[in-house]
Amino acid sequence: QDTTFLSQEIPPVFLCFRDRKEWADLEPVPQDDGPNPVVKIAYSEKFSDVYDYFRALLKNDERSERAFALTSEAIELNAANYTVWHYRRVLLQALSKDLREEMRYITAIIEEQPKNYQVWHHRRMVVEWLNDPSEELEFIADILSQDAKNYHAWQHRQWVIQEYKLWDDELDFVENLLEEDVRNNSAWNQRHFVISHTSGFSDAMEREIQYCLYQIKKAPNNESAWNYLKGILQPLGLSAQPGLLERVLELKQTHCSPYLLAFLFDCYEDALENSKENVAEEEQQKTLKKALEICQLLAQEDTIRKEYWLFLGRSLKNKHGSSDPSDEPLADDPEPSVPVSEQQEMS
Amino acid sequence: MAEEESQFEEFEQIDFLRDRHVRFFQRTLQVLPERYASLETTRLTIIFFALSGLDVLDALDVIDRNTMIEWIYSLQVLPTEDQVNLSRCGFRGSSHIGIPYSTKGPGVLHPYDSGHVAMTYTGLCSLLILGDDLSRVNKQACLAGLRALQLEDGSFYAVPEGSENDIRFIYCAASICYMLDDWSGMDIQKAIEYIRGSLSYDNGFGQGAGRESHGGWTYCAIASLCLMGRLEEALSQRELDRIRRWCIMRQQSGFQGRPNKPVDTCYSFWVGATLELLDVFQYTNFDKNRSFILSTQDRLVGGFAKWPDSHPDPLHAYLGLCGLSLIGEPSLRKVHPALNITQRAFQHVQQLQQTWRDSTGSCSRHLWG
Repeated sequence: QDTTFLSQEIPPVFLCFRDRKEWADLEPVPQDDGPNPVVKIAYSEKFSDVYDYFRALLKNDERSERAFALTSEAIELNAANYTVWHYRRVLLQALSKDLREEMRYITAIIEEQPKNYQVWHHRRMVVEWLNDPSEELEFIADILSQDAKNYHAWQHRQWVIQEYKLWDDELDFVENLLEEDVRNNSAWNQRHFVISHTSGFSDAMEREIQYCLYQIKKAPNNESAWNYLKGILQPLGLSAQPGLLERVLELKQTHCSPYLLAFLFDCYEDALENSKENVAEEEQQKTLKKALEICQLLAQEDTIRKEYWLFLGRSLKNKHGSSDPSDEPLADDPEPSVPVSEQQEMS
Repeated sequence: MAEEESQFEEFEQIDFLRDRHVRFFQRTLQVLPERYASLETTRLTIIFFALSGLDVLDALDVIDRNTMIEWIYSLQVLPTEDQVNLSRCGFRGSSHIGIPYSTKGPGVLHPYDSGHVAMTYTGLCSLLILGDDLSRVNKQACLAGLRALQLEDGSFYAVPEGSENDIRFIYCAASICYMLDDWSGMDIQKAIEYIRGSLSYDNGFGQGAGRESHGGWTYCAIASLCLMGRLEEALSQRELDRIRRWCIMRQQSGFQGRPNKPVDTCYSFWVGATLELLDVFQYTNFDKNRSFILSTQDRLVGGFAKWPDSHPDPLHAYLGLCGLSLIGEPSLRKVHPALNITQRAFQHVQQLQQTWRDSTGSCSRHLWG
């Protein structure tokens, strides 16, 4: 007899679960969409096979190694199926599986699919069970190196830092990211997150203002930096910070932007809103005039928001304008006779 | 001559291809290829995008309403005979768990079968869009299922087994309570606290406290408060003005979701609708918004994509239409900005709720004379 064929390597062929004798005891459960399925996804035989057996395991709530192995197959086909992940977690606990190995597994999956909610939630659960965040900051940094604004990654990072009090090196991490890309809004947000939970903004205020102005000089058209500056000053009032207005007016000469102008407007508005009793009416009207000039400038410079800036000017004037009839009207006063939205539709 | 031709080309480039979009949604409702596998557990949301999209296009006549209604009801997780699963009731995203098809109760006990808050929300919306009267919805069970999902901090899980929790599911919960006209499904005060806690230093809303502000979560925050009728109670005038500013700064051509990120068609709705709810959408630039949305229109297969020269998908197709509807595109129905269904469907909701109130009224009159 010719038996040479027995020594030849045969490449492994995927054997359907329904053809595997170790699974013969289980009756596969097909998906049942009834007589008129809607948004039906046309699965291949392989896909249906795996999930028919997944459904069978689920029905019996089977707790076994073969069930655990099948969840890996199911995840590979659809990592967004939250029921598979939940069942896998049940099995991880019921079978006392090696959680360190699970960390390696979930690391690999997140690297492949970093914008999936289920995989990050799973990682969080495993970290909690292990009560060990030691790999997290480095792992998240790696994910962020591929996409520095991945919302899931930042969320997980904030959770880890807050839960396990890992604040120490985070400000440095943020600064490095801002060095790489000063327009990374997620990094600016993280900066605020770190400082508000550590030193707070009272002693740090001057340093933070300096930092913002420095970054603005490097990249003037950066909304994130201006939002941060406004955000940290806002609780105390923009007009409360001595000398700030002057610094910004100086910047206006060389590093102007719509964000700078909007910031000035907000400073003036804050001054009008929070003016002390002894501020003269004349002083108020001067501030109002400056604010309205800024609105006009913004309507010219930030044309996409022209109608909004004019609206802001009108609102401010209505609120703080004097009753003096000799006041010069705003260029677009009174209100246009045709409502703005109609104008836009007609064009 | 050449100039006339290129002007004609430009017109072609920016015209709205209604019929293609109708066909796009029709195809979506039929069969999708296997590469859409990741949408399995959220198929009900896809139905919602297609149905509401057809409604916005005033083209619901192309589908068989009754077929759709039956299929949606088959996704309801109903209480079992002994009601042990009450806190797991609601709607599933699809049949992926393997429960045999059924549109009636009692529910089947299964160790892993439970509703998903976003599916209950889109399931109810879809039924209402189709003109259903929700008479086969077990409202009390849905509300019990909803209560079970709310955490101490006011946010919601998606499923009773646990999941991530954030502001998206507060919006789903608020929509469910609004449609069922029953706020016993949630602790409004706690939800408001979570929403307020999600307000960022830059005056947009993040997914939760400390997180980066984002157009989608800002919509969830503001729309939820509007549905609850608590917008001006929860946020001061000053805060509202600041939120208006954050939102309006998102317009670059179309709208972006976060500062310094690229514009994306879906934000024409998320941010646009928020601005509409805050009464300042009229001050945005409609032309630039329209041009951007239409630049993401797929002229061959219909639908819209997030960016130009990208593949369309049901979510962007639907939200692109809603974005156009907000700016008054002729031939599109108006959209209710908080509930994210057409005004027509919204009127149906209101009429339905009136009949519920009338029948409750007449019952109590009968009891107490």
